[in-house]
Amino acid sequence: MAEKETSDLLSSGSQPNNPLSRKLNKILETRLDNDKEMLEALKSLSTFFNENNLRTRRNLRSDIERRSLAINEEFVESFRVVKEQLDSVYADVKAVNECCQDMSSRLKAAKDQTQDLISQTTTLQAESQKLQLRSQVADAFLAKFQLKQEEIQILRGTRDGSLHPEFFSALARVKQIHNDCKVLLRTNHQTAGLEIMESMALHQESAYERLYRWTQSECRLLSGDSPDISNKLCQAVEAIQDRPVLFRYTLDEFGTARRTAIVRGFIDALTRGGPGGTPRPIELHSHDPLRYVGDMLAWLHQAVASEKEHVQTLLKKCKQTALMLTAVQDHVLDVLNHVTEGVCRPLKVRLEQVVVSEPGSVVLYKLANLMKFYQGTIGNIIQSSSALVCTIEEIQTLCLRMFFNTLSINAGRLLEKVELPPADLGPTTALTQSLQLLRDVLSSHDSSIVPLDARKTDFAQILSSIVDPLLQMCSVSASRLNTVDMATYMINCMYLIQNTLALYEFTDQRLEMLQAQIDAHVDTLLSEQAAFILNRTDLAHVYGIVQQHNPAQGPLSDIHGLDAITIKSAMARFDNYLASPDSYTLPQCSLLLSSKIRESVKKHSIELICHAYKQMYKSLFDESNNYTEPHTIVPRTPEQVQKLLA
Amino acid sequence: MGLMKSHFGSHIGLSWKINNEGADIVSSDFPALTMASGPYNYSYIFKYIIIGDMGVGKSCLLHQFTEKKFMADCPHTIGVEFGTRIIEVSGQKIKLQIWDTAGQERFRAVTRSYYRGAAGALMVYDITRRSTYNHLSSWLTDARNLTNPNTVIFLIGNKCDLEAQRDVTYEEAKQFADENGLMFLECSAKTGENVEEAFLDTARKIYQNIQDGSLDLNAAESGVQHKPSTPRSALSTDQTQNKEGCSC
Repeated sequence: MAEKETSDLLSSGSQPNNPLSRKLNKILETRLDNDKEMLEALKSLSTFFNENNLRTRRNLRSDIERRSLAINEEFVESFRVVKEQLDSVYADVKAVNECCQDMSSRLKAAKDQTQDLISQTTTLQAESQKLQLRSQVADAFLAKFQLKQEEIQILRGTRDGSLHPEFFSALARVKQIHNDCKVLLRTNHQTAGLEIMESMALHQESAYERLYRWTQSECRLLSGDSPDISNKLCQAVEAIQDRPVLFRYTLDEFGTARRTAIVRGFIDALTRGGPGGTPRPIELHSHDPLRYVGDMLAWLHQAVASEKEHVQTLLKKCKQTALMLTAVQDHVLDVLNHVTEGVCRPLKVRLEQVVVSEPGSVVLYKLANLMKFYQGTIGNIIQSSSALVCTIEEIQTLCLRMFFNTLSINAGRLLEKVELPPADLGPTTALTQSLQLLRDVLSSHDSSIVPLDARKTDFAQILSSIVDPLLQMCSVSASRLNTVDMATYMINCMYLIQNTLALYEFTDQRLEMLQAQIDAHVDTLLSEQAAFILNRTDLAHVYGIVQQHNPAQGPLSDIHGLDAITIKSAMARFDNYLASPDSYTLPQCSLLLSSKIRESVKKHSIELICHAYKQMYKSLFDESNNYTEPHTIVPRTPEQVQKLLA
Repeated sequence: MGLMKSHFGSHIGLSWKINNEGADIVSSDFPALTMASGPYNYSYIFKYIIIGDMGVGKSCLLHQFTEKKFMADCPHTIGVEFGTRIIEVSGQKIKLQIWDTAGQERFRAVTRSYYRGAAGALMVYDITRRSTYNHLSSWLTDARNLTNPNTVIFLIGNKCDLEAQRDVTYEEAKQFADENGLMFLECSAKTGENVEEAFLDTARKIYQNIQDGSLDLNAAESGVQHKPSTPRSALSTDQTQNKEGCSC
């Protein structure tokens, strides 16, 4: 390059004017220090241009050219290697390329081939996942809708018929599954739902059958004096409630067992008594009807109360809802009916025996009351329509009928052989006896244990059965007596009846009736008494005329027998009466049993006498009757008479 | 939505039920627990009778014992009534079946029938009314005549809360009890003082009699019923065997 420039410089220097000057200028202007190429060139020139002489200067060019050639040759030589190497690299790369191409084509082919597989795998995988999910669902489904093997085992049970403790939970599960099937049926799983339902129903049926068998055999064992009702049995009864028929049968079975127990217990208590004879057998007291019947009924009362507890224990788990509660109550009562039915026969036979053995009216009446009491007491525990209560009621009715029967027999006997009243006009022995009976009956009625309102009902019948025939008997026996005797006798009889009744409740009406009758007889008696006195003093005739006298008939003194002399003598007799009034009393009046009536007859008869005297006195002093000096005829004023008699 | 809900509900119900049953099963594995939970498991039944004059507080005592409450306006008892309670004596569960009788004279004939087979008789008087104390001998005669010789008779002086109105001294009644071989306590059905003790002491005495062998259990009429719990299973297998034999 440097040579080229110098040559350029040389050639341009040969040109005139401008180009040369320009070149020169350029050369001159050239700063060798700054021209790195020039410096390089010069530097390398200095390496081989050691001697600056002509020859060398002449040879410089060829030297340089030779050098250049050599360098080029060297260059070429060097590049040949490079080229060869490059060629080999190229070949390698080409091979690699081919290889790659081959591989890629193969890959492509493989890819083409595997794509199917992959997609298949993916689908399979997806499917597998889906299946897994399904399997989970199915497992969950099975867990919910199928029984476990051991549960089935439990439901099938062991050979000896005993019940596994888990039985009830398994049964509950079967029931739950059966219920859950409804969900399946409502959705799109009808077939599954139906099938599961069917199989559950089968399980359920067999389980219930087994449960029933077990419960049945358990119940059969409960015929001891006090049954041991286990929790398991209660649970079983609760579970079996879903099958009303089996439930019914179970309760029947229980009832039958208890029925046997209670009958046996009753017979034992009646005939054997306690251990070593204490307490003594109830039948030992059969000679004392009240104690015998009372003991039997009390025993039954206690037994029934215990039985009720047992039934309630058995059904204690069944109380679930308010609706069910009443049903459970009904069941309790039903079972109790069944349980107590058994003792009806032995009880009835014995009660009837007692009632029919004619223990007497009072005892019959007491028995009827006792039975009535137990009819209520036992009826409070079990249904009053139950056989036991009905039996007691039946016998009670029979007893009451027998009682009234004895009363009417008694009444018939009274009327059949009517006694004549005794001379003292007091009560006959029949009357006294009947009144004693009445007293006995009424006092047992009074202390009766039957509530007040229940007592009132048969009261009227008792009274009419005893009192009416008595009154009838009295009238019959009095029929042949004269008026005074009859009145006295009737007063005495009724007075005694009244006295007997007055002590007891519910007799007010009767007492009133009797009082009215007594009053009537007392009236008779006192008018008889007054008439008796007037007759004895010969004033009866006078009084009779005075009473009927009419002023138009003329003065009294003109009437026969009413002349002053006759009246005067009668008045003298009357004076005698006034002096000793008691001797003018009718003998019958002193036979009156009641001093009160006696006094009342006396008092009222005196009143009548006074009244009559007053009337006569007035008539005698009446001037129209033409009595001269009436005070000589009737010396005493009515007031004086009243005072004297008072 | 409704469907979902109902399904959910039924599920809840199911799980609850199973839990519940599970609990039951657990308790049945432990007999002691069942004894405590079930009110009907007991090994003996003792029958008591309460006697005494009208108005001494027999029914109130019973009510206080069974309900642990005082019944202020207690009506007259008609005939007889009864109550039960389960107690424990020496680790044994005992069911007391208590017959409360009417004190009124007109019921005397009826109540006499209830002495039969009583294991314990509680004879009650009112410490504020001497007349009720004076009648004790007649009640005692009845009790002795109508019950077992083994019947435990317990004398109770009721209304001991009314100290101010006391008419019968403790010493006097105690002497009467000792002379007649009775157990004795003064109680108050109102405050509940000594009520529990009277009933329990009677039961203890009866239980002691059983242990001594002086009370024969083999009959219902002794007023005590024993319920053996172990031989039952043996019995049941017997029964089934019998049944199988029969069915052949």
